Amino acid sequence: MTDTAIPPGDLVPDEDINVPEESLWRIRLRLFGSTMRKNWSIFSRNRLGVVGVLFVGFFGFLAILQPILMATVWSDQKDIYDPVVGHDSVILSKTVVPDGEVEDSLSQMSFTEAMIAGEFFPEEGMIIEVPIAPAPPNVKHFLGTDPFGRDILSQLMKSSQAAFTLGVIAAVSAVTLATLVGSVAAYYGGWIDSSLMRLADLILLLPLLPLLIVIGSFWDVGLVQLGLLIGILAGLGGTAIILKSQALSVKVKPFNDAARVAGGSNWHIISRHIIPNVLPLSFLYMMFEVTGAIFLEATLSFFGLLSIPMSWGIMINTAHTQGYTLFGLRAWWLLFPAGLSVTLFAAGFFLIGRAMDEVVNPRLRAR
Amino acid sequence: MARYLGTRLIQMFFLFIVFLTILFFLINAQPGDISQQFTANPLIPPEAKQILRARLGIDKPLGVQYLLYIKNVFMLDLGVSFDHYPRTVTSILLSALPRTVYLFLTATILAYLVGFQTGKMTAWSRGSLAEKGTMVTSIILYTVFYPWFSLLMLWFFGAALGWFPIGKFLDPQKWFDSPYTANAVFAAMLGTMFLSGLAVGLIYWGTHKWIIEPQQRTRARRILLLLFSVAVIVYWVVSPMSVYAADIAYHTVLPVTTLTLVFYAAITLLTRSSMLETMTEDYIFTARAKGVPEKAIRDRHAARNAMLPVTTSFVLAIAFVIGGGIVTESIFAWPGLGLALLSAVQTEDVPVAMGALAFIGILALFAHLIADILYAVLDPRIRVKA
Amino acid sequence: MNRDQSAVADEQPLASAEPIADPILEVDHLIMNYRTKDGPVSAVQDVSFSVGRGESLGLVGESGCGKTSIALSLMRLLPDNAEVQNGKIILDGENILDLDDEAMRQTRWDDIAMVFQGAMNSWNPVYRVGDQIREAIDLHWDVKPTVVEANARIAELFELVGLDPSMADRYPHEFSGGMKQRAVIAMALSCDPKVIIADEPTTALDVIVQEQVLEELRSIQHEFGMSIIYISHDIAVIAEITDHLGVMYAGKLVEHGETADVFARPRHPYAWLLLSSTPSVTGPKLQLSPLEGEPPNLVNPPTGCRFHPRCPFATDQCSAEEPPMEEIAPGHTVACWNHEQVPEMETSRA
Repeated sequence: MTDTAIPPGDLVPDEDINVPEESLWRIRLRLFGSTMRKNWSIFSRNRLGVVGVLFVGFFGFLAILQPILMATVWSDQKDIYDPVVGHDSVILSKTVVPDGEVEDSLSQMSFTEAMIAGEFFPEEGMIIEVPIAPAPPNVKHFLGTDPFGRDILSQLMKSSQAAFTLGVIAAVSAVTLATLVGSVAAYYGGWIDSSLMRLADLILLLPLLPLLIVIGSFWDVGLVQLGLLIGILAGLGGTAIILKSQALSVKVKPFNDAARVAGGSNWHIISRHIIPNVLPLSFLYMMFEVTGAIFLEATLSFFGLLSIPMSWGIMINTAHTQGYTLFGLRAWWLLFPAGLSVTLFAAGFFLIGRAMDEVVNPRLRAR
Repeated sequence: MARYLGTRLIQMFFLFIVFLTILFFLINAQPGDISQQFTANPLIPPEAKQILRARLGIDKPLGVQYLLYIKNVFMLDLGVSFDHYPRTVTSILLSALPRTVYLFLTATILAYLVGFQTGKMTAWSRGSLAEKGTMVTSIILYTVFYPWFSLLMLWFFGAALGWFPIGKFLDPQKWFDSPYTANAVFAAMLGTMFLSGLAVGLIYWGTHKWIIEPQQRTRARRILLLLFSVAVIVYWVVSPMSVYAADIAYHTVLPVTTLTLVFYAAITLLTRSSMLETMTEDYIFTARAKGVPEKAIRDRHAARNAMLPVTTSFVLAIAFVIGGGIVTESIFAWPGLGLALLSAVQTEDVPVAMGALAFIGILALFAHLIADILYAVLDPRIRVKA
Repeated sequence: MNRDQSAVADEQPLASAEPIADPILEVDHLIMNYRTKDGPVSAVQDVSFSVGRGESLGLVGESGCGKTSIALSLMRLLPDNAEVQNGKIILDGENILDLDDEAMRQTRWDDIAMVFQGAMNSWNPVYRVGDQIREAIDLHWDVKPTVVEANARIAELFELVGLDPSMADRYPHEFSGGMKQRAVIAMALSCDPKVIIADEPTTALDVIVQEQVLEELRSIQHEFGMSIIYISHDIAVIAEITDHLGVMYAGKLVEHGETADVFARPRHPYAWLLLSSTPSVTGPKLQLSPLEGEPPNLVNPPTGCRFHPRCPFATDQCSAEEPPMEEIAPGHTVACWNHEQVPEMETSRA
């Protein structure tokens, strides 16, 4: 009968202490909740971060609104309000001016045009009503119509959907890949590490836009494909390097050795210990990935190289290729809503990312 | 230092080969082969198709094709353009290259110089109104959608205000009876830029090596820089090329400004973060304890160290600037590599598209190398082995 | 603790009864707080002491007892959220708390310099060590020297601290930890300051290097007649090289006197416990009396004497009133109501 060594002092409990039975996942959930609340209080102290959330929320609202509107308010006018194939000619009054003196083609028409419109004896100063596209904002179309007669607001909302889809696919795939790559590289070290990092270096170097331009022109690239493409390329690149150094700092902590001594397999350690500690940083970089992905997609759409039904980039492309860029403010509804949307959407995620940076990286918090 | 450089060069070389391999697979991953471009007409007899395929070298096995391809690239034989037949790809791209380099260099240098100063001063005066204003402006400029922003700039400064020409890089009417080609003038302008960089570098290195007393050194530098600037100015004033160069320069203002603005915002934000981190270091405390004045602490101690992560970040930024350059070239009709790529892609001119990609890759690698060298110069821990 | 100190303790204490005449540094009722979001933290609470010319003072205490805060106050390098509520710091006749920023900037390093703890990061990695020392010289010497002259002086200083003079042309990452520490000392001496503050100068070093550095500091002090204030939590270090010793607890100076006296016969319970808890390698095995409890919360310090919650000799008076500093032997002051209760040290320690 071995005597259990009794440590000196008051370390032996007087009686059996009742340890309450609480399942592991309940505990984790509770801890998660309290951490989230604490993080939110830090996050919300950064006003710009809250602004970012507002922006993103606004576009989320738009994205959800579109199918609702299509199903309800616009259900009987689908052929007018459909963002891609809809068409509506808004009737607008234009003043007739002699040929060659048309300064603003949105509000004036030349004699020739008047004759084509059916008025055979045009006189200067006559006002003729003509169905036009693009049309400025009016009661029927809150943001006007584009050069092909499609409702801009509807297009905007549909593009929000596309943006979210793309952003989510790209960000999730990129960060999943980067987290895995980073953690594996950090954990195993050696040649696995070097080759993965060399790969990441190469990818960092690859100018992504030109490559995508070529790919986009050779193949039909849709939203999902683009998202995955961007995700994979981004995930193996710079983000992997950053997450790997984070994983490294986690790896050297003693609890990993403890886990290994206790018999944990390599995969167990990676998935249970390293990855959860890298995750906060991963979430952070997801925000920046969305920003990057959106810009890439919008730029590629702007060049007309993607097979996407509708996106903000396509809206700008339409306006530009139809020659409305130099109209500037006179045709503001063609360029500004779309351009602003891309900007604010990307900015929203960027601001959220920066605010999250303060949560994850305590050193950056303002005193 | 030499060893560091040598290692980097070898790495660059290998990376370039891998890059070319990717390109090669890209070309060949397309269904069908290049000869089908020319032989779509069903009336062409199959023997003609065979001859064409032999000519283009596609009848050989893939491995051989690959090696031939690599060899050709290094011999700068990138094929013949489909669209601008019979101009070679290399000639097209070499004439476009200087214009892209000019855009790239000018935007990068300006953005870094101004952005670093702004970021440095903003971080130092944390919490002031100027800081908040700069931050807001920078964030706006950084997150704005670049193609849209360029369109707005083009419209506002080109059409609405009429201050600058709308695109292109020269006014054909002015060049009607010019004895110089555009590329010749461009080469002269680029040459001046490179020479200036080299001269500034030499002046600083030489005075550092041979003059010890700081006051004498500063004076010597000022005199030498002044002499050099005067020489350059005199050269350009006297040269008959200056009219044409001025025309080109006038056309560059808008595209360069647009690209620089966005890049500048990014650098400001980055410098500010880097400075904030640096300012918490112990040696800043040491400097204060030594009684170093505040401005000197900011510039000599904090900024000098904050420079290091900013230089590293340039490596990441290269892809961003190249992408931005392509958009700029497209919108402002600036005939550089980016525009060549875009138009080649739109007209399915595969050789030019691939060649342009390869050139862009080389540009990126080169920029990376320069960034590495710069970093080694700035950080003695890399340069000097303990 | 070596036998030299104990020999001195057996004789009559040599300290004079009067306060130090013409001190180089006088701290007078210094009170300093930090503003935090939890409220003001009382870091230095009514501390007064003097340092004579050519003498060395040691300040010991736990982390957070205020010794580093005092050091920062002496150089006026406190962070933005620190406030000096009251008191004077008189350096060679001038109250430096009254100086404006520019004047203080010129006083720093010139009249009072610092040797930092963890010199690992005290050096700017992108400049050569010699250049960084020359920066201080260029700022403070009355006649700005040429580079050659300054380098000659730096070479002298390097030899003084036991470094190869050619190392001045190297970068900090080429120095080992001990070398960096010595270079910091060289830099501190470069402008011939009147007072040097050495804040944990040997904490990050291994024992052998520690010995050498302390040896050098002591010889420099005697050679140049410099006054040095040593700040450490390591009593062994303090014992070897200081003339006077001040024990700090929770922002207050609780005991002060000649090092030999305080070591031989500590009168404050905290000091006594501190000294009793250091085992002797050569002496017989004795029961250790560890310090119970935790350092106090300085946002809400204990009432009365700040040590009373952990004091084995505490009485009711201790929690009610703060004890003043009393001279209980010539040159030896203590702030405790019950200092009589504090027993002699175990004989084998003396």
